[in-house]
Amino acid sequence: MPQLVTLRFKRPDRRAVRIWVPVLPVLLVFSPLVVLAALGAVVACLIFHVSVTRAFGTGWRIVWALSGTRFDMEYDRMGVLVAFR
Amino acid sequence: MNEQRKDILDMLAEGKITADEAERLLAALERDLPAPAASLDVRPKGKPKYLRVMMNTVENDETGHINIRVPLQLLRAGVQLAALIPPKALTAANTKLTESGVPIDLTQLKPEQLEALVEHLDEMTVDIDQPDAKLRVFCE
Repeated sequence: MPQLVTLRFKRPDRRAVRIWVPVLPVLLVFSPLVVLAALGAVVACLIFHVSVTRAFGTGWRIVWALSGTRFDMEYDRMGVLVAFR
Repeated sequence: MNEQRKDILDMLAEGKITADEAERLLAALERDLPAPAASLDVRPKGKPKYLRVMMNTVENDETGHINIRVPLQLLRAGVQLAALIPPKALTAANTKLTESGVPIDLTQLKPEQLEALVEHLDEMTVDIDQPDAKLRVFCE
């Protein structure tokens, strides 16, 4: 599971902004919202006749596999970086 | 069979040397032979872990770079999403695809087939080289 998400934004007229987001503490802080989102997902699965366990299993596997993902895009002097570690 | 080895066996067949002498000569020959050079195809490769997409563009003197690294594990997990698409949505998508002239039946697309596709991605390399753009897709 990713522990740290790095975000970097570069703009031509300003200094690059770099943000490090520790995943676990942020998840703990937003845990009430996470629970609500999970309940919403269960309701959506029931409405669309999708297996809840399968949906959560797949979601968990995707989150678990995010480590190492890196998306880096630069155009002229602008750029965005998203990296999961 | 190399030439020297063949000569030794010929001499043994003609009775010029005894079996013991032939054995000693063959053993000496094997000691003197250099170890076979490892070829690129035979060399054990580490299993690739990431799919990389790298693109460089030049447009109106402005350069652009795209560097994407996606774990293959994430792709494998992602293909499981196909199994979660509701049948109604698949039917609707099939109808739209057929209307657009792309007669693909998405209901026939199984996650196992997509997994097999991901499994063989490591053998794929795409190189596109144009004056204003370069694209490379590969696994590492």
